[in-house]
Amino acid sequence: MRNIIVVFMLLSFLGYSQDFSNEDYIYLKRHEHIKIGLSKQNFEITKHVSEQAEYLNAKKLYFANESMHFDSFTSIEDIEAYTYLPESNRNIKVDYIETKREFDNGIFYSDQESKIFTFPAVTKGAITNLNYKEVIKDPHFLGLFRFGTFVPTKSAQLSIEFPENVSIGYIDFNTKDSSVDFKQETIKGITTYTWTANNIKGYQPEEDSESALHFIPHIIVYIKNYEYKGERFNVLNDVNDLYKWYASLVKQIDTKDLEKVYQIADDITKNLPTKRQKAEAIFNWVQDNINYVAFEDGLGGFIPRGAASVCDKRYGDCKDMANLLYEMLNHVGIEAYRTWIGTRDRPYSYKEVPTPMVDNHMIITAIIDNETIFLDGTDSYVPFGMPSAFTQTKEALLGIDANTFKLIKVPVQKSDKSVTEVKTFIDIEDDLFKVSEKRLLTGYEKVEFITDYLYKKDTKSEEEFLNTTLALGNNKTSYTNIAKENFDNKKEALKLSYDLSIDNYVKKVENKLFINLDIDRVLSKSKIDVEDKKYDKKIDHAYQKNYMTVLNIPDGYSASFIPETLSYNSPDYGYTITYTKKDNTIIQNKSIYVNTLSIKKQDFESWNEFIKSLIKAYKKSIILERNQ
Amino acid sequence: MIKNTLILLLFVSTNCFSQFYKSYDWSEKPKMHSITTDEQNEHSIGILKKNIVEYSTSTFSSDLLAYETFHTITRVNDEKGIGQHNRVYIPMYDVKNVIDIKARTINSKGKITLLNKDNIKEVNNVEEYGDFKIFAIEGVEKNSEIEVLYTVEKNADLFGSETLQGDYKIKTAQFLYITGDLNSEIKAYRTTSKFESVSIDGKASKLLEINNVPAMIEEEYATPDANKITVVYQCFPKGQNITQDMFWTNVVNNVGGKIIPEEINSKAQADLDLIMKDKKDLSNYEKIVLVDNYVKTNFTVVKNNNAELSDIDYILKNRSASDFGILKVYANYFKGLGIKYELVITANRFTYKFDPDFFIPNMLRDFLIYLPDEEKYVSPDRIEYRVGEAPFNILGNYGLFINEDYGYYFSKIVQSDPNYSTILRTTDITFNDDFESATLKQYQEYTGHWGVTNRAVLNLSNDQGAKEFKDYLTGSGIEDKVIESYEVENEEMNQMEYNKPFIVKSTISSESIIEDAGDSYLFQIGKVIGTQSELYQEKERVNPIEMTYPNQYDYTITLEIPEGYTVEGLNSLNIDKSYKSNSTGEKICKFESSYKLENNKLVVTIQEFYKSNEYDLNRYEEFRSVINAASDFNKASILFKAK
Repeated sequence: MRNIIVVFMLLSFLGYSQDFSNEDYIYLKRHEHIKIGLSKQNFEITKHVSEQAEYLNAKKLYFANESMHFDSFTSIEDIEAYTYLPESNRNIKVDYIETKREFDNGIFYSDQESKIFTFPAVTKGAITNLNYKEVIKDPHFLGLFRFGTFVPTKSAQLSIEFPENVSIGYIDFNTKDSSVDFKQETIKGITTYTWTANNIKGYQPEEDSESALHFIPHIIVYIKNYEYKGERFNVLNDVNDLYKWYASLVKQIDTKDLEKVYQIADDITKNLPTKRQKAEAIFNWVQDNINYVAFEDGLGGFIPRGAASVCDKRYGDCKDMANLLYEMLNHVGIEAYRTWIGTRDRPYSYKEVPTPMVDNHMIITAIIDNETIFLDGTDSYVPFGMPSAFTQTKEALLGIDANTFKLIKVPVQKSDKSVTEVKTFIDIEDDLFKVSEKRLLTGYEKVEFITDYLYKKDTKSEEEFLNTTLALGNNKTSYTNIAKENFDNKKEALKLSYDLSIDNYVKKVENKLFINLDIDRVLSKSKIDVEDKKYDKKIDHAYQKNYMTVLNIPDGYSASFIPETLSYNSPDYGYTITYTKKDNTIIQNKSIYVNTLSIKKQDFESWNEFIKSLIKAYKKSIILERNQ
Repeated sequence: MIKNTLILLLFVSTNCFSQFYKSYDWSEKPKMHSITTDEQNEHSIGILKKNIVEYSTSTFSSDLLAYETFHTITRVNDEKGIGQHNRVYIPMYDVKNVIDIKARTINSKGKITLLNKDNIKEVNNVEEYGDFKIFAIEGVEKNSEIEVLYTVEKNADLFGSETLQGDYKIKTAQFLYITGDLNSEIKAYRTTSKFESVSIDGKASKLLEINNVPAMIEEEYATPDANKITVVYQCFPKGQNITQDMFWTNVVNNVGGKIIPEEINSKAQADLDLIMKDKKDLSNYEKIVLVDNYVKTNFTVVKNNNAELSDIDYILKNRSASDFGILKVYANYFKGLGIKYELVITANRFTYKFDPDFFIPNMLRDFLIYLPDEEKYVSPDRIEYRVGEAPFNILGNYGLFINEDYGYYFSKIVQSDPNYSTILRTTDITFNDDFESATLKQYQEYTGHWGVTNRAVLNLSNDQGAKEFKDYLTGSGIEDKVIESYEVENEEMNQMEYNKPFIVKSTISSESIIEDAGDSYLFQIGKVIGTQSELYQEKERVNPIEMTYPNQYDYTITLEIPEGYTVEGLNSLNIDKSYKSNSTGEKICKFESSYKLENNKLVVTIQEFYKSNEYDLNRYEEFRSVINAASDFNKASILFKAK
């Protein structure tokens, strides 16, 4: 019997004309059907998932490994999986499924588990079939459905059925190119919404792009409200209900032993006169003393742990740190609010998406002398007054009191807050390029450098690290007298200084020296491949880089060629490079700025013009000629 | 029932051969240990890393009992140091009982925070690693000491191993091995410290103490993880003595008995009939290739606990096998074809150095099949490999070879073809529009491990991977390049011909590769060979030199000199660096480049090779000069001047 169904379904899909013949593996279908039942005031929610995939060749048999995640809010039941082999018209069932956990670098302990199995007998032409039921235990988590996924899908469908006393909300994203068909029908008091999309191309992540949710066509459905005995009860009708739910979780925060926390707050701030100074001291204390360790355990993933316990243990996740900041700041008289926020990975606003899908992070908002300051305890190096880079542009939900909240947008931090200032002095000794350089880094430029230094340096030497990150001159540059200051001083700019000697850099031909002063060629590798890059380019933060480079003309030489001024200027990005000759030196001033967090696809050409112009400017050499 | 248990408990606790772990404890009043200024600048410092392994025999039977105690004191100085040590994972693999787990922190002010044992979490069935107990260290700040002490009772295996080195410095590492009157063996790798015989509570024991164990650092051309100081040990049941030969024979009989078929399975025969259908006059090599290609496109190697994945009937039906089970498939096919083969048990040289002189199951990690008549290997669970040399991560390690008659021998796994992996690249360069841009027309052939890797990346990776790879194959490091054409040949993973080259044909253009200098132009010819890694060495080299695999590059760059121009600065194109064999004087690795001017053409030829996979650590600087010569060449530029 099953064979007949399979053959029938196959035929129905073969009807589509889209050509996926260059693919290795495609989904013939990915269907989800959510069934919402309500008995009295209890929801019974199940999601039936039905997937069918085809191996167009035998290259990527590793797709046979399947895993389905679940946690304490969901369970996976009735898994039925088999491989259909058209050539021999046989089905081979999956007969072994394991329940596994995974260790995650970001989350130390999570209640998430996976059902894992491997489809048998996959080879060219094989069609795998997977059907299962996911029981959703909490009506706040209906999740989202992606019409597109990493490989093409011939038929993608989400349907949701619900009784007449339940009302459903939905919102779709990135669907304008995928023609999603919507159908609604009501039979015997049960309404079904169905969204169908056919022949959806594959979506694979790209480097330097926003997260996949910014471009994959998908839909979020949620329960708005239900009626019971003539009365309406809201679940997630709008952001008010989401907040109400959050507020109910906040009520469950353990508030015992807060005296300990207050004591620390008092100690840190006792000699500080202004609110701003107090807030800064408390923020720095949490940055320095609470280590990031995340536990995601049921509702524990949503309810901050008690501030006293976080203080004792000296670790916590974002919401634990936020709650500790909240207690400390308010205790010393600073207006501060627990603040829910989605990082830049989540392209949603609270008004559009009144569900827990909207956010994944918690910070604190302090109001000091009418200034709104966002404090993210998880970012150990961000200066007081700046939000964490990955929350810029995002809507923040401030919990004012049990019933009141406020939505504020986290502003993009202007480029003058994240500045790299470079002063370079160059001497030429026997063809060797001798450089003495100082760098001052502020804002996100500093955060980024320290983070790379701590987490990407590994066991590499400082010289090797600088050679690969700053990439000054060439990769044979030798660094000496490396010094760094203010790693832990949040207020001051990070100071880096070092001396360089660069081999094979000065080009000497007959009586001429060809000298290129652009030993730092930042952005020179940033040209976008317009043909290959599919999605907008993401930039983590706006910044400025200002350089002053002084070349001492060696004795017996004089400058016979100095490049002219070059620049490219647009509101979002640009540069200027000028050269001046003064006494026995040539001074290059170079400034580069990027004021935007995103380069839209339609602006790729303009960005490339900027980069090409910059590369061209980097190519300009000075010529020194030996005096006759 | 309860009564019985009580009696039993009493009995055990009055046992006069009490285990040492019961009396071993941390100090009651911990004090911060002093560290030097240099140590203060590290992220973290191990003050103590102590392992106690204790074997004994229970009072009632001759069964072995095994207890393991782990005791560490670690100083953490900054955020990164804290992050490296504040999460503790205790594997429960083979653990019968957890005797005790405790942990505490002393901060710089002397405040002690004890771990709340309620916060120890259980995490079961983690990937392939089994169960764990995990906890986060409480109360840790910068400049604290973290102390962890736990003891577990193990299912008494006859062997074990322990690594005594980390990626941070350890001031005192100790391994205490208590075996009393049981026969045992112990061996330490990569340390000059010696085991000392000591008596612990009257029991014969061995103690290895190493002071100032340096941090194992990541180095290029090295296998740092496999080079850590490690102790391996064996302990035998009372009155027994087992030789290494006996262990190996046992493995051979066990593995051989399970894998080597006396006759071919009927379903396997049916497969063979299909594979060989309409094929005539095949050489043995061609038959092996057909079998390997068939397995790699019809079977999946699965990593889970399903015992049936090593049952041949189940495997042939479900086309799924464990890494062990898939050997049976090959063994059956080869049996059916009458092809001679040997099973090889070995390990990834980047994680474990296989030691034929000391048996522990830990190093029996990877399986290969060796075809003695062809002098080639099949890598059954490696989707990217086809019949040829052994995978590069195994090359150079020892292996246990088992033939069809259960005879066995040990051999280093080496390449039979020393010139297996080569890159041949010709580049023709022309200049356009008065040195506005250069066009590079390239033809490249990749063989051996290069070819294998290239095919694997192209066939198995996602879009991003394929994109990055295209960049790599077409003048990597030329920042503004435009790829005008790009074509690959022989990219299919299934190839009939031995070591067929993977071919890339491409044309790219670049403006940035030419720099203006008044009325002259600097052409960065070195960039044509692609980004070359530079081997840095500030600290003293730690790890022995091991290449990824022996390889050779032959490059020819032909450049047309535009009319009206002369070319200068060619001396930087002459490079000659080599490392010669002490015994024969032959060049074992080298980088040689030179140029010729022919009419209006400049022809540069480069040959770089690494014939051996291993180089003498004492001659590291010579090796480094060869590696860095390519990076030197990469910086070369020449000047075009108007006549």
